Amino acid sequence: MTKKYVMLADTTRCINCKACVVACRAEWETPMGHTRDWVKEVEWVQNDQPKVMLFPGRCQHCDDAPCIEACPSGAAYKREEDGIVLLDNGICSGCELCIPACPYEARWLNPETNTISKCTFCQPRIDEGLAPACVQTCVGRALVFGDKNDPNSEVSRLLEEKTWVKLTTDEVNVGPNHYYYTAGEALPDEVMPKQYDRHLSGKVMEIVNPVGAIGLGAMLLTFLGAGVIKLVGRRNEVCASENKEEK
Amino acid sequence: MSDTSQMIPVREKKSIYMHWFNAGIRLLLLLTGFGIISGELVRVVPAFWPEFMQGLFGGNDNLILTHSVLAMIWIGVFVLFILFNFTNIVLPFLKNVLVLTPSAAIKDMKSMTLNLLQLFGIMKNVPIPPQGRYNGAQRLLGTMIIFCSIILAFTGLYLFFGPQVLNFSENPLYGAIFRWSLVAHISCVFLVVTGVIAHVYFALVEEPECMDAMKSGHANVEFIKHHNALWYDELKQEGKV
Repeated sequence: MTKKYVMLADTTRCINCKACVVACRAEWETPMGHTRDWVKEVEWVQNDQPKVMLFPGRCQHCDDAPCIEACPSGAAYKREEDGIVLLDNGICSGCELCIPACPYEARWLNPETNTISKCTFCQPRIDEGLAPACVQTCVGRALVFGDKNDPNSEVSRLLEEKTWVKLTTDEVNVGPNHYYYTAGEALPDEVMPKQYDRHLSGKVMEIVNPVGAIGLGAMLLTFLGAGVIKLVGRRNEVCASENKEEK
Repeated sequence: MSDTSQMIPVREKKSIYMHWFNAGIRLLLLLTGFGIISGELVRVVPAFWPEFMQGLFGGNDNLILTHSVLAMIWIGVFVLFILFNFTNIVLPFLKNVLVLTPSAAIKDMKSMTLNLLQLFGIMKNVPIPPQGRYNGAQRLLGTMIIFCSIILAFTGLYLFFGPQVLNFSENPLYGAIFRWSLVAHISCVFLVVTGVIAHVYFALVEEPECMDAMKSGHANVEFIKHHNALWYDELKQEGKV
C-alpha cells in the first residue's frame, strides 16, 4: 500500500507564535522576505465580540495539482510513493507559469536559486523518518504530519476522532492534502483558495495548443486523403491501360 | 528546339547536404523537444512520449541538454553555411523564395489553393499560372519556414541560456520574455511541422522528381518546363537548356 502524507492543522491550538515559520526558514535557509509556510490571522466581530482564527498554511500537496499541469518542463511533479508535490530544481527554469496556477499562493520565485520554492513537507527530513521542521517545532502541537493510509498513525487517529475540513470551494477543489480543525467554525473567505489563473502567455498557449493540434491533424488528413485519391486514380489508369492492351 | 529530356544541374552538392542535414537535425529536435514538454499546458503528443524520452535520456535535464546541443549545432552550421555561401547560394535562394509583399502573397496563395484543390480533382481544368523556380506553395512554405526558424533559434537560445545567465527575480520582464518565448517557440514548431507534412507529401507522392533532384542535384528539363515555366524561360535565356 502506498503512503499518503497529509498535514493536519488544529486552528484551536495554534497561538500564532510563528515558530513553524522560523523553523522552516532556518531549515530551508529561505531568502529575506520569503517563507515556505505562514500563519494567516483572520479577525471578525461576532455578537459584539472580536474573534480571531489562525490558519497555518503551506503547499497543500493537492491530488490534482494545477501547478503540475502548468509546468511546461515537468519540474513540478507528484511523488508517486507518497503523493507529495515536489520540484526538480535541476529542470525548473523559473518561468513562474506555476505561480498563478496555485490556488493557495504557495509558490514563489527564489531570487537566490532562480527557481521556484515551496513547501515540500521537508522531503529530505521525512525520507529519514523525521517530522517536517514546522511540525517538530510547533509548541502548541497544532501541526501533525503523517501517513493517512497507515491506520495506526496519529493522523489517522485524529482524522477519525474529530471533524476536519479542507480549504476547498465548489469552484476550486483540487484535492488538497492539508486538513484543518476549526471546532465547527465556518471557514472564513480569507483562507479559501483563489480561482487559479494563468499568465497571459499561458492563456494564449491554451488557444495555441488545440489550434496547433487541429491544424496538424487536418493537414495529415488532407494529405492522407490526397494520397488515397492519387492511389485510386493510378489504379484506374493501370486498369484502363491493361484493358486497352487486352483488346 | 531544345532537348527537354536532358537532365541539367540545378543544385550544388553543399546545398543538398545542407537540406538533408537540416531535415535530419530538425527531426531529432522535434523528437527531443516533444519529449521535454511535460505539463498539460502544452499537450502536443500523448503523455507517454515525454515519459519514454525522459526515461531514455536519464531525466529531463539530460534531454533538455541534448535538445539544446543539437539546436546549437543546427544554428552553428547554418550560420557558417550562410556566411560562406551568402552571395552564390543564400541570396539567390532568398530572392527566389521569399514572399514579402501582400500582392505576391495573394498571387502565391491563389496558385497554392488551386494546386491543393486539383489534388482532389477540383478545378482540374483551370490552368495554374506559370511558376518560377519555386511555385506559390513552395514560396509561401519557404517564407514561413525561414521566419519560423529565425524565431525558433532566438527563442530557443533564450529558453536555454535565459535562466542560466539572468536573475528572473531582478526584473519581471526576464520571466515574461521566457514565457512568451515558449509560446512563440511552440507556435513555430506547429507551423513548421504543418508545412513539412505538405512538403513531404509532394516530395514523395506528387512530385518524386523533386526528391530525385534533392538527391542528385539534377532535374529533368521536361519537368521544369511543365511545372516551372517561368524558370524554364530563364534557363533558356541563360542558355542552360
